[in-house]
Amino acid sequence: MARTRSKGAAGTADASDKKSAAAAKSSPSVYVLPAESSNPPKLFVLPKTATSSARIVTLHHPRYSRPARFLVCPEAGFFEFTSIAPPKSAPRSWLIQPTTTTVTSTTTTSDANPPSLINSQITQSPALHLATPFDPLFLLLPALFSSSSSSSSSQNDDDDRKPTPKQKRMFLSPDDHLDALPDPAGHLAALLSDCPPARRLLGARLAAVCDAVRAGDEDMYRVSEGKVLREVWGKARRMVVGDGDGAGGLPGSMEERFVRRELEAPVVGVRVSRAAVVGGGGVGDGGRSGSGSGSEAAAARSTDFSRKRATDEEEDERAEKRRKKEAEEKAKKANMSRGVRELMKVNTSGMKKMSDFFKKKT
Amino acid sequence: MSQPMISLQPEPAAGHPPQATAHLLPCRVHHNGSVEPVQSFWEPKAGEDGTSTAYFRGRKLQGKAIKLPDGYRGVVAAISASASESPLGRPEEAGVVDLEAETPPRGTLQAQAEFDEMVIWGHEVAVDASADPYMRGAQEWIALAEKIHAYSAPDSKGK
Repeated sequence: MARTRSKGAAGTADASDKKSAAAAKSSPSVYVLPAESSNPPKLFVLPKTATSSARIVTLHHPRYSRPARFLVCPEAGFFEFTSIAPPKSAPRSWLIQPTTTTVTSTTTTSDANPPSLINSQITQSPALHLATPFDPLFLLLPALFSSSSSSSSSQNDDDDRKPTPKQKRMFLSPDDHLDALPDPAGHLAALLSDCPPARRLLGARLAAVCDAVRAGDEDMYRVSEGKVLREVWGKARRMVVGDGDGAGGLPGSMEERFVRRELEAPVVGVRVSRAAVVGGGGVGDGGRSGSGSGSEAAAARSTDFSRKRATDEEEDERAEKRRKKEAEEKAKKANMSRGVRELMKVNTSGMKKMSDFFKKKT
Repeated sequence: MSQPMISLQPEPAAGHPPQATAHLLPCRVHHNGSVEPVQSFWEPKAGEDGTSTAYFRGRKLQGKAIKLPDGYRGVVAAISASASESPLGRPEEAGVVDLEAETPPRGTLQAQAEFDEMVIWGHEVAVDASADPYMRGAQEWIALAEKIHAYSAPDSKGK
């Protein structure tokens, strides 16, 4: 580590990068690739609001029902990691190049901050980990709806997830609700004991979707479907009309994929319109279209067009088949050798067939 | 299952980690780590229409820069497992739960550089913004996720 860093410092200490580049060009020296790093850095996109007291934890993702990574900050809240990785068919890698202007300023502080990156680096994995806001309400929902209560002994029931209406949900303390949450890696428990603000955040979201009763010195909560609906409705509204600051609606590529392409006329439409152009240019139609200008005439014309279109289409198909056949034959002929082609012209009518030679001699 | 619980390394008092640009090359490079001297093979030139051009091993590449949205920063960071819990610097509560016996492994995320711009490179032509997963992720998904997951906090913590 120290070796590569000192080398990099020497390389970048040259005030002008141009000079070193020029030197590299003039002298055909062979560069030795520094040893591969065993712990290559990854690329993250993190919210600026996240402080250094934030943690990256593994929680049960309610959407995919499997463990996923989250960033939890006591101040900024919960964030979900989405990893962008291109398909294998489009290989990519990261080249991280320090911005030249700041390199000089950071070399001075590099002693205080040893792991800071000074060299240009390659990270082979093209993954980019995006941390986007995540409403902790979604983390709570599975527990709130999972069973009548965590204290009841109905855990091994098959229809645990869908409690029948007669099973009344119990009012529970926030802690009991949190204990009921799935915790695949034990991170949630550690987080809750580590970081009281995270517990408060979850508690606030719990209160937003629950009916509460006061029992002794503690509030007890039970999920209210009406309140959940109101929250989800609010989210749906915000997506459609926007949040005041930004425009509503889906982002461009999603609009294209899920709305515009779905509503697009089917491909047949192209052929029909082409046939219509051909039909419209026909002589017979020209005379007819001039005969009337009323709506009746227009209607008659439209039906005529559609009939015409139908026949045109059939003709088109037939012509296409014929063309295909001809093309095939032509291709066959082209593949034949000259000798075979010439021999085909020979008059074989008087000759013996090949099979005659293999008949039994009489 | 054995994924560590990672804490972010506190910002050094001296200032931010060095600024960098993240170039997404349209090829896989079978190497991890330093590639100095980088100027000998990587010299992108900014064009007039917002794209830049570079030649990498004889191939022409077109790059399109995308800024990260406001409120987000790019971080180049390595995850290192920390042996003890002491670097957390957080006094554990006295009331130790029995779960403490099996605390998850801890690690730290050490920022090596920060970036606020990614350059997505394509062969010969710049990548299509509506199809590239990085452009859609950095711009569209963040904006959409903010809308889906926004909520009005009853406390002072307004998001």
